Amino acid sequence: MDLKVLRATIKKEFQIRLRAYPVDFMLGCILTSFYTVFGAWMMYHYFFGKRLATDFSNLTGTSDYMSYAIVGSLVYMFVVRTCLNVSRRLITELREGTLESLMLAPFKRTSYFVGNMILQTIMTLGETAIAMVIGVFFGLKIHDFCFWKFVIALILSIYGFFGLSLILGCVMIYTRDTYISQNTLFTAIFLVCGITFPKEYLPGILQFVGNIIPVTDCLTLMRADFLGGLTNGRFIYIAMRIFLVGSVYVFTGFPLLKQLEKIALEKMEG
Amino acid sequence: MIEVNGLKKIYEVKRRQNFFCSEKEKIEAVKDISMKLEKGQIVGLLGINGAGKTTTIKMLTTLIEPTAGTYSFDGIDAIAHPDKVKRQINMIAGGERMIYWKLTAYENLWYYGQLYGIENSLLKKRIEELLKIVGLEEKANLPVETFSKGMKQRLQIARGMINDPKYIFLDEPTIGLDAIVTQELHKEIIRLAKEEEKGILLTSHYLSEVEELCDYIYLVNAGELVFEGTKKNLTDYVFSKNRYVFSVKGMDEAIIIKLRDHLRSIDLESEVMHENGNAVITSKAELSANIAEFAVNESLIINELHKLEPSLEQAVIKLSKNIESKGVDIA
Repeated sequence: MDLKVLRATIKKEFQIRLRAYPVDFMLGCILTSFYTVFGAWMMYHYFFGKRLATDFSNLTGTSDYMSYAIVGSLVYMFVVRTCLNVSRRLITELREGTLESLMLAPFKRTSYFVGNMILQTIMTLGETAIAMVIGVFFGLKIHDFCFWKFVIALILSIYGFFGLSLILGCVMIYTRDTYISQNTLFTAIFLVCGITFPKEYLPGILQFVGNIIPVTDCLTLMRADFLGGLTNGRFIYIAMRIFLVGSVYVFTGFPLLKQLEKIALEKMEG
Repeated sequence: MIEVNGLKKIYEVKRRQNFFCSEKEKIEAVKDISMKLEKGQIVGLLGINGAGKTTTIKMLTTLIEPTAGTYSFDGIDAIAHPDKVKRQINMIAGGERMIYWKLTAYENLWYYGQLYGIENSLLKKRIEELLKIVGLEEKANLPVETFSKGMKQRLQIARGMINDPKYIFLDEPTIGLDAIVTQELHKEIIRLAKEEEKGILLTSHYLSEVEELCDYIYLVNAGELVFEGTKKNLTDYVFSKNRYVFSVKGMDEAIIIKLRDHLRSIDLESEVMHENGNAVITSKAELSANIAEFAVNESLIINELHKLEPSLEQAVIKLSKNIESKGVDIA
């Protein structure tokens, strides 16, 4: 890892964000979280009439639906914000006309992407913390909190989301599309990863899709940190699974991205 | 020295047949290009029709890989060691690309300097020097988006120099620039080659620019090298006949006829045309002395007598017309 490139990338991206995106961009992200939580709150209160399926507690380890949905929404916001920005980096460079000058330089791509991920994680953590405060007003309750478990879950989540971003970045740079690819992935995450309802309610094939997206397991760990309901043994098992799935994404994503950089530069010929 | 041997690039593109089907097609953008570039030399890479100039430059700058062929920079194989080569080269393209508009001029150069791993104190010194050279020291802390086209282009030149490259690739560097900025840029290119011993490969649509700057020219057509040599070699090659403009006091048709007869006794294929009060003479032979002799013998007062030197532009246009009509028959 080249720390010089990593630091420079963080600094450059921060300067660009500061000048390019006004505060309302951040507000927009918080509002998205607010709307998701508000939607879950409306459904729970007015559609379900606060009645939960009998097996909900067995499947989730909690009977507090609002806390369950809010933690899901916060993690969803986190994954969308990190994946979105990291995966779009190369295609943004391509669109802004800086991909060639970037690729001319002999630097390690790992440092560039990790730099982007670190900056985005820091920014998103701030946004998530604010969104969490909003969540309290909608009924978020912390039942059981273990700091170290939270740190482990956070690090593994960042790793898993980073791998996911690389693969999404590959799709974007190959298809030169951001809109369809990102929205398809984010909708899939929302539907099959158990954001507002347990994935066990879905058909087997969709549950399988949910399991190969690291968000599902990250969400299970995060919920366990805030709401409890997971034994230590199960926590370690899921943590290892995230690491393995995340590694598959990371170690597939990097070489693939390097190949696709070349294709992108060739495609610039028209 | 950059040495390029048998460089070839085949692109595989998809041609859509209908909404559901597409067919793969192979396009040979660069067929077989060999060239050399010495340090301190400015070499022009000119193209005629969809020539493959940009593809060639992208391969030489290691941005894309060739399908076949080899190229080396000071003996370093560029395909095997692209990162080593990247430290020795840089590219400056025309237009307003290759720089971050939201960053300031200083921030842009600093970021690129970091990517090249330049030590911080050296980088600071180099940025200050480069900003001074391109005349942007006063604007160093302004975001690039507030710059004019010329200023952005000047910053791009500084960016292209940030790693102190031994070889610089200039891809249409003056496109869209006004005459004064273009002239300044030309001076800077010459300075880089002559004073700093940089090897420069230039592509440009402005043939006058190539004529002014380049020591040597490679001319490519449809991915193939059709000519290499100096500008003089090219014009001599394309224009096999000499052209003269001759005018005397009281020039009329009778003088033209006498001149034609006189010159045909020396070169049967010579032609004399009466154009705008001048005689325009075309001949394979060197006729300056014979024309002057004719004027003296006929007691004519010479207003003008000179040999027309064809421009590079005229040579390239004529060559491209030859290629279009006869196909590529030039080695």
